[in-house]
Amino acid sequence: MSHCVARIIVNCLGVTAFGMLGARAAAIQSGPIDPPPTLQDYQALAKLPDLSGVWTPDVGDQARQETQNMPPWTPKIAKQIDHLIAEEEAGRPFPIIDHCFPTGMPSYMLITHNAFELLVTPGRITLLGEGDGNRLRRIYTDGRPHPADPDPSFHGHSIGRWQGGTLVVDTVAVFPQSYLAISESVGVPNNGGMHIVEHLHLKGANTLLDDLEITAPKILSKTWKTTRIYYRTREQKFDIVEGVCAQGYFTEALDESGNAIFKPAQFRNGVPVGSESK
Amino acid sequence: MTRAFLKQAAAAFSIAAMAACLPVFAHHSFAVYDKTKVLTLKGVVKEFQWANPHCVLWFVVKPEGGGEPQEWGVETTSPGVLTRSGWTRNSIKPGDHVSVEFNPLRDGSHGGGLNSVTLLDTGQKLTAGFANPDKDK
Repeated sequence: MSHCVARIIVNCLGVTAFGMLGARAAAIQSGPIDPPPTLQDYQALAKLPDLSGVWTPDVGDQARQETQNMPPWTPKIAKQIDHLIAEEEAGRPFPIIDHCFPTGMPSYMLITHNAFELLVTPGRITLLGEGDGNRLRRIYTDGRPHPADPDPSFHGHSIGRWQGGTLVVDTVAVFPQSYLAISESVGVPNNGGMHIVEHLHLKGANTLLDDLEITAPKILSKTWKTTRIYYRTREQKFDIVEGVCAQGYFTEALDESGNAIFKPAQFRNGVPVGSESK
Repeated sequence: MTRAFLKQAAAAFSIAAMAACLPVFAHHSFAVYDKTKVLTLKGVVKEFQWANPHCVLWFVVKPEGGGEPQEWGVETTSPGVLTRSGWTRNSIKPGDHVSVEFNPLRDGSHGGGLNSVTLLDTGQKLTAGFANPDKDK
């Protein structure tokens, strides 16, 4: 009998504990949700300008802007930039991209030579890059604001809204360590507090312009405006491929058991030595 | 005397530390190569590494004046970019006779940044550029 009483008490405690956990879980789930998309949501996308597809950057224009549209660096940063340019010209390029981290914002849009794929889904636009571990950007278009205290990240927190035929994207919370770069070897960390506004719009059927306004008070004396150009093609040879940057630190090899493995690469003059090379 | 010695030792240590820490990165700017110079060498392909972030062509050159064969490593862009230029991972195979045009490393080492490869058996020329799609008129 006493055994039964004890069992009931244990069960009651269990129910109480479960109830507390359930209430806690409910509290956690009481925040905003991502609603399941409806047919109407997908139909609404068809009325917007079609930005979907694979976009290849105009690398030649990137190079032109290195000299023709210099950011308004603060005097202190300008000295660093002059030094980096001199080092690049001397054949000692500063390793901005060499760590294989994501290029980060805004360099993702400014200097990358690889294409990105833009996907449009209800409430969100996603940019899937190719180099640097297939980097990606998520741009929320569901009307949400920026979080009150967002965690910093390489690409920051981006929200977008349509103004006529233009997608306006607002990005904050980028790591202070993410570079504002004008080339693969000239640029500086934004050092915090950066705010990026982009106006993405089509110019012709397959040309995309990204008008960027970059405010970075730690390194720029005023907001810098620049436009980047991308071209779209439907040819499948332009489809995005896997691009894992860190693969460059390894070569293909066999282990002692004959298993196919990646083994750390050896480098000579900064160039990886082939797996069969001396 | 002791102070001068310490200064020299510190300088020597500093140089040694720098030598040990020379950047050897997988992904880097091509400004390491001297774009004011173009070399063209003929040789036999030893290996073609089709891998991110930069593909590398290794080939062996027999010096015209005799001497030991030289191995050269010439780097190019990523598989994704090369695919858009019409390359595949089988475009260049070990044993292929090639003529390679490239911008050399600045210190004279046997390496460089690729401009083009011509397969001597077929005459096919492969270039390593950024293929932009046709621009809107």
